Amino acid sequence: MTATAPPGAFSLDGVTYRYPDRPDPVLRRVDWAVAEGAFVVVAGPSGSGKSTLLRCLNGLVPHFSGGRFGGRVAVGGDDTRTRATHDLGHRVGFVFQDPEAQLVTGRVEDEIAFGLEQRGVPAPTMRQRVEEMLDLLGIAPLRDRDPATLSGGERQRVAVAAALAVQPAILVLDEPTSQLDPWGAEDVLAALTRLNEDLGLTVVLAEHRLERVVAHADRLRVLSADAPALDGFPRAIMAEMHVDALPPLAALGRRLGWNPLPLTINEGRAVVRADPRVLPPPPTDPSPPGGAPTVVLRRVTAGYGRRPVLRALELEARPGELVALMGRNGSGKTTLLRAVMGFHRPDGGRISVLGRDTARLHPADLARDIGYLPQQPGTLLFAQTLREELAFTLKHHGGKGRDPEEVLRQLGLGRAADRNPRDLSGGERERAALAAVLVGAPRVLLLDEPTRGMDYARKRELGALLDALRRAGATILMATHDVELVAQIATRVVLLGNGGVVADGGPRAILSGSLTFSPQVNKLYGGGYLTLADVVGETATA
Amino acid sequence: MSDARSSLDPRAWLLWGMAASLVPLLGRNPFALTATLLAVVAVRAAWVPAAAGVVSGAGLVRLAMLFAAVGVVFNALTVHVGDRELARLPDRWPIVGGALTLNAVAYGVLSGVALVILVLVGTTLSVVLDLASLLRLVPARLAPVAVAGSVAVAFAPQTATALREIREAQAARGHRPRGARDLVPLLVPLLTGGLERAVTTAEALEARGFGATLGAGPAARWRWRGPVAAFGLAATVSGVFAAITGQATAGLLAIGGGVGLVGVAARDRRGRAAFRRTRYREAQWSKRDTALALASVATALALLRVRATDPGAVAWEPYPALTVPQTSLPLLAGLLLLLAPVLLAPPAGSDR
Repeated sequence: MTATAPPGAFSLDGVTYRYPDRPDPVLRRVDWAVAEGAFVVVAGPSGSGKSTLLRCLNGLVPHFSGGRFGGRVAVGGDDTRTRATHDLGHRVGFVFQDPEAQLVTGRVEDEIAFGLEQRGVPAPTMRQRVEEMLDLLGIAPLRDRDPATLSGGERQRVAVAAALAVQPAILVLDEPTSQLDPWGAEDVLAALTRLNEDLGLTVVLAEHRLERVVAHADRLRVLSADAPALDGFPRAIMAEMHVDALPPLAALGRRLGWNPLPLTINEGRAVVRADPRVLPPPPTDPSPPGGAPTVVLRRVTAGYGRRPVLRALELEARPGELVALMGRNGSGKTTLLRAVMGFHRPDGGRISVLGRDTARLHPADLARDIGYLPQQPGTLLFAQTLREELAFTLKHHGGKGRDPEEVLRQLGLGRAADRNPRDLSGGERERAALAAVLVGAPRVLLLDEPTRGMDYARKRELGALLDALRRAGATILMATHDVELVAQIATRVVLLGNGGVVADGGPRAILSGSLTFSPQVNKLYGGGYLTLADVVGETATA
Repeated sequence: MSDARSSLDPRAWLLWGMAASLVPLLGRNPFALTATLLAVVAVRAAWVPAAAGVVSGAGLVRLAMLFAAVGVVFNALTVHVGDRELARLPDRWPIVGGALTLNAVAYGVLSGVALVILVLVGTTLSVVLDLASLLRLVPARLAPVAVAGSVAVAFAPQTATALREIREAQAARGHRPRGARDLVPLLVPLLTGGLERAVTTAEALEARGFGATLGAGPAARWRWRGPVAAFGLAATVSGVFAAITGQATAGLLAIGGGVGLVGVAARDRRGRAAFRRTRYREAQWSKRDTALALASVATALALLRVRATDPGAVAWEPYPALTVPQTSLPLLAGLLLLLAPVLLAPPAGSDR
């Protein structure tokens, strides 16, 4: 099919693309046309070509990436083969996955004005646009801050504001909410929806967490590495997708045969009200495990300069517990994990792990018992092959640990053992870093946003693995914004806020009824229902 | 974050920095060096906030003091000239053998002080100068160069952060670097990560319209603009050199002429029209900036004048005989003007 599109939108006609160092094309004869003012979500597993497809829209592919490109991409009448990316900047705004690498000035205001300066926009108009963007994204208090000092979520909003400031006809975003807490993600998505509805901005957004974005979309395109893409109205496409690739609400609808499939919680509630099924009582939270605590924080105070992040924080974790640390961006989750690992020296208080005071030990010594997965998994990897990475960890654990092949297999990396870790996709690299940590068989595991960039299938596998480790007696502290994952595998949830513990308890006690941290199933049924299994696994018909 | 960036114009600060650097660059007179050191320390105390988290360059200053101390010892051990012998090492000892003189120690100390002054000036400027404002001073046609410089500067702290993250990540795997071979786990992710970040930054710049062609093109430019600017720049540099080497009048004339030519080239409207990149902020020159600029220029002129008429007041040689250094009241009065930023500093606790 030859795709055509109204002016202002874009179209791809028979686009095929192969990266210079890859044997197979990432995109094969892609035909795609998007109308002006559409809100499109692009989904699909890691490595299916979402980022590549998005980069075609502003000419980064092939102008910047090289490789072999065939077919045609037309944006607002311009052929991207004949227009440089910087000359398409006023038509296509682009927000990258990593906000840190795309911010280039030392002040938030200047960052927003950067694109306007490049376009020669007069200063009074620039000032007006900058003010509008600051208000729109809710970042006015940050206007004089250096972007390097902002949290990940704040930086992402600055990046979105900078892209929007030039008033592009199309805004392309590559996983813009992956680093955001639920509030931050909702703010960004609400802003995008407003721009889409009020100004007719065409939004194209790649995202793994469909539960966050699909309600805002009027079109969904699902890519696959080995099958033709699905493309159409979200409801129709989600009715065709594999149930394992769906967010909980849609998956529940598919499992229970709801037709039409609900996309929003409101739609879901309407179906539930009319549903005659009687649910069994929800499961209860597990009893806290016994035994001596392995991780103990006593009145821990820590911060950066004069800015305190943790204030007299008290926390204990025991073997067999998977503690989810939740809270808004900047609430101290990462600082807490770094303090436990000995990387961030507290200003006050005491931290002990397995009975040892962490202040008296080098992190390399603590590493014999603690596994730590940082937010940037690439920092862990340096060897020529994945197998060598795991051997490196084992060497520093005196050869004691788990079977590397088994760890790789569990993480779906069995075939990648001889590949260079730096050649892996983002999601694969995250799992490779986790493998490099898990092979040491740590008794305490610290994970900082481990599901970032992971598709549903990989997330499920990771959840199963962490659950197995917990059952085997490991203590796991996991900082995350991923409410659905927490609902499935956490045995305890600790909400951080204002430098301390705001709430601490079982997942059903903490997540149920929470305005921002309740999973989709709980929003639907309330009570103690958190997961699909709570409802589907034991549903009885009246 | 407390913003330590200055409310004074970066051009005025640059003039102050140049004036404050002249004494340690031109001579080793102890009185002039001490007066300059005290002035710079006072300015630093007034402008560089003590707040933690502000990159004040204190580590660099400590490093400079260490180098200065090492320099004193090195000078004393390797320079065996002078009339005030303190001790003597056996002549058969290579390099260090011979007389240890008070002259060498004095020269080493003064060189150390000069080094510390230069580092203090540099670190003070690095805190008070707003880099973005500084880059906006670059002519519009050189904007791509300025942005590239800005990105490079922004890259430095990112690289430092990446290095910390990598060291932590490796330590978390039980790795503790002990030798050169252990640098591999550190350097490989640093280089590959840096490269990836550089590529992403370049992509982001491209996607945000950096380098977009908006202007009328080179044909509309004044054809002599470049040569005139280059000649003016050469004349300015030559003038500075002439002034420093004692030909004050000729030097000042050359500087004046050179700056004038650069100004003529910069104001060419046809050249301006060729690139329509606009600026979000325009530098605002205030009376305080004028005061600082005038004080700095007066300091420099006083120094150059005294150096031309009374060289010993700026330059002092402890070799071959240790003599009492000269002093010059006009010079010390001129150096007092280096304290101008102290008087122009905003009240303590206000936002700078």
